[in-house]
Amino acid sequence: MSSISGATVSLPLSSAPASRAPGRHLPLQWLWAWPFPLAVLLLWHLSSVWGWAPEQVLPPPVQVFRTFADMVVSGEIWSNLQISLIRVFTGFGIGLLAGLVLGSVMGLSPTARDYLYPLFKAFAQVPVIGWLPLLMLLVGIDEALKFLLIAKATLVPVTLNTSQGIQGVPNRFIEVAKAYGFSRWQMLSRVVFPAATAPIWNGVRYGLTHAWLALVVVELLASSEGIGFLIVYGRQLFQLDVVLASVLAVGIVGFSIDKLLSLAEAWLLRWRKPGL
Amino acid sequence: MAHAGTLDIRGLNKQYEVRGQTLHVLQNIDITIEPGEFVSIVGASGCGKSTLLRLIVGLDGDHQGEMLLDGQRIRGTSLRRGIVFQEHRLFPWLTVERNIALSLLNSDLTEGQQRATVAEHIELVGLKGFEKTYPHQLSGGMSQRVAIARALVNRPDILLLDEPFGALDAMTRAHLQQELHRIWQAEGITMILVTHDVEEAVYLGDKVVVMDPRPGRIRKTIPVPLAHPRDRSSYAFTTVKEAVLREFGEHGAADLAEAPLVAERLEPELSAWQFAV
Amino acid sequence: MSQEKSSGLVPPALRGWVLPVLILLVWWWAVASGWSNSPLLVSPVSVWERAVQQLSSGELRAALGASLWRNAWGFLLGAGAGLAFGVLLGWSRWAERLVGPSFHTLKQISLFAWIPMLSMWFGLGDGAKVAFVAMAAFFPMVLNTFEGLRSVPREYLEVGRVCGFSLWQQLTRVIAPSAAPSVFTGVQLALIYSWLATLGSEYLMAAGPGIGNTLIDGREHFEMDLVLFGVVVIGLVGYALNAVTGSLERRLLTWRDRTVARY
Repeated sequence: MSSISGATVSLPLSSAPASRAPGRHLPLQWLWAWPFPLAVLLLWHLSSVWGWAPEQVLPPPVQVFRTFADMVVSGEIWSNLQISLIRVFTGFGIGLLAGLVLGSVMGLSPTARDYLYPLFKAFAQVPVIGWLPLLMLLVGIDEALKFLLIAKATLVPVTLNTSQGIQGVPNRFIEVAKAYGFSRWQMLSRVVFPAATAPIWNGVRYGLTHAWLALVVVELLASSEGIGFLIVYGRQLFQLDVVLASVLAVGIVGFSIDKLLSLAEAWLLRWRKPGL
Repeated sequence: MAHAGTLDIRGLNKQYEVRGQTLHVLQNIDITIEPGEFVSIVGASGCGKSTLLRLIVGLDGDHQGEMLLDGQRIRGTSLRRGIVFQEHRLFPWLTVERNIALSLLNSDLTEGQQRATVAEHIELVGLKGFEKTYPHQLSGGMSQRVAIARALVNRPDILLLDEPFGALDAMTRAHLQQELHRIWQAEGITMILVTHDVEEAVYLGDKVVVMDPRPGRIRKTIPVPLAHPRDRSSYAFTTVKEAVLREFGEHGAADLAEAPLVAERLEPELSAWQFAV
Repeated sequence: MSQEKSSGLVPPALRGWVLPVLILLVWWWAVASGWSNSPLLVSPVSVWERAVQQLSSGELRAALGASLWRNAWGFLLGAGAGLAFGVLLGWSRWAERLVGPSFHTLKQISLFAWIPMLSMWFGLGDGAKVAFVAMAAFFPMVLNTFEGLRSVPREYLEVGRVCGFSLWQQLTRVIAPSAAPSVFTGVQLALIYSWLATLGSEYLMAAGPGIGNTLIDGREHFEMDLVLFGVVVIGLVGYALNAVTGSLERRLLTWRDRTVARY
């Protein structure tokens, strides 16, 4: 299970899935997801009707949806989202490339690893958030800041997972390749990297998760446009409906990224046994 | 010496409803097993032999017909009936001796008695010295031996073995068959072994029960009147083995070759209950 | 990969130091030679002096103390609630059906997006920050606890049944140990995320002491040495956290032959 705000780690799952006896599946399972949120929505609506909380603190749900609809129609959401998405994917791209290169170098060469890994490890100890003020001093609050921060957020998990993935390629595969007289290039392209795909992909997933996280943070703190900025804007005007509508948009993006990653993973690792 | 039990099964029937269709897993199973007997059950996939064991040990219920152990109806699991599965199912977070001791959790032995019997059984299965090792450090054969010790430590009346050596290599298998035989002679408890290895069935059993699939029923019971220790290459042994193999028709041993225990190969609607076979 | 006999002038043990030392030297030289007159180019010496100042004046203790205090409380609250909720979801199919989807939807929302809302409701004080940190610890804890409980192999439960285990015995002797590694992963992730959340909350709800606030102050006053010092401190805390969880894992989970896949 992967998510934006809380990622699980891939543990080898149990030997057999907890299968249920036939016939115990509830029909229309998805229907049961609704009672709880609908009840919450009802409570929310009632609380605003009966004035349990001032409108500023808790605007009525109808207003939030209307605001959201307005913002969508006026293009405000989409234009800001576009900016955010461009930032995150650019930064992610930079970090991904750098991470793959650095990770491969460290994974393939023990010498490089000796020189680079300790410094990299130290660098990785400081979370993206910690670097923000420093980077703000160095490059101001332009796009460069965003790209760098998002790239850093991506770089760390991608590098670590790539490096470890390559190092973890089972020796027995290498030996088979040697027995067939593979050239160095063949070894890398046909054995090492395919075998390391799973851990590398894990790194990519975490990288994107953290990239998105970093984007939201940097837009909340130091931006005049983007979806994070919208949230802050609403907050400053004390318009919770704007805030909530923007948060909703953030959630939708998060969900979509998650789904995209699952699809990509299913295709990339289609050779894997289920349950691994 | 453990008390051996008489197992009486009369008119046992079991079916599953899958997608509106009734699948007969077991049909009219009648069998009596004398105390101290060793019974081997062989059959092709789908003959319900694993289901039969699971019913006897009480892991599955919902059947028609009677199962009596020493005249008492079998209901649910009990320490009087032990089972060894095909996977060793040792708990990875416990050492060998703790895994075995797990069976004794609900027995009424004192702590001292528990420790003594655990040590005894570790020695019985030939694993002295490995008390404090963890399962991930053991080989497949050793793990299976721990599983056998765990099943025996309660001195059950009857021990069920569901293809216990199926996942092991030929040499380990042969070795463990001998071990099992030795343990059986030492303890004298009733044993029922399900296997698709005809040679193993003939080597170990006092009689071989041949089962047919779809629906699962007993086709024939072939006695094995050979003295122990049995020589697999002797004429008498081969005769009995041939007699068993003949029951499998023109396909012979091919019928016995079982699909690996992976649900993917089987049709989706049936995989739920076929996995239990 | 094969153990190549690494050649080169520097012995392997010292190689890790080469780059940092080089960087330090270049940095010091850049300052000393007046390569740039930006006020941002501070010398490593001044960072050191700042460190000494922060330590002796007790400012560091106050700031770090405040951050760690909030981190600890938020983590305990969030992880505790996460454990309880994860057990609920894992244990009760009905709870999973009713509340699960809502939970999974909420967790899609990037963590920091919640801050403005929280600050509107709870202000900018410690309470709001602790609430946010608790949220950050909550989500990974729920997910991993749930996963751990759901992955208990049916085979082990059957062994328990054959041994005549009561429900309590199944819980304590089969389910809990089997789920423990996942729960532990949840704890590790919760620690990581709660530290991130502590820092983030200090930036975005910038009132009160905290190491994050130290950094923000440094930035606002263009005091690069303070900022660099803060970065080092944060790095050290991060390192300490990893070291603690690593050694805990090794001690509690010795029975595993492989370690948890790490971030």
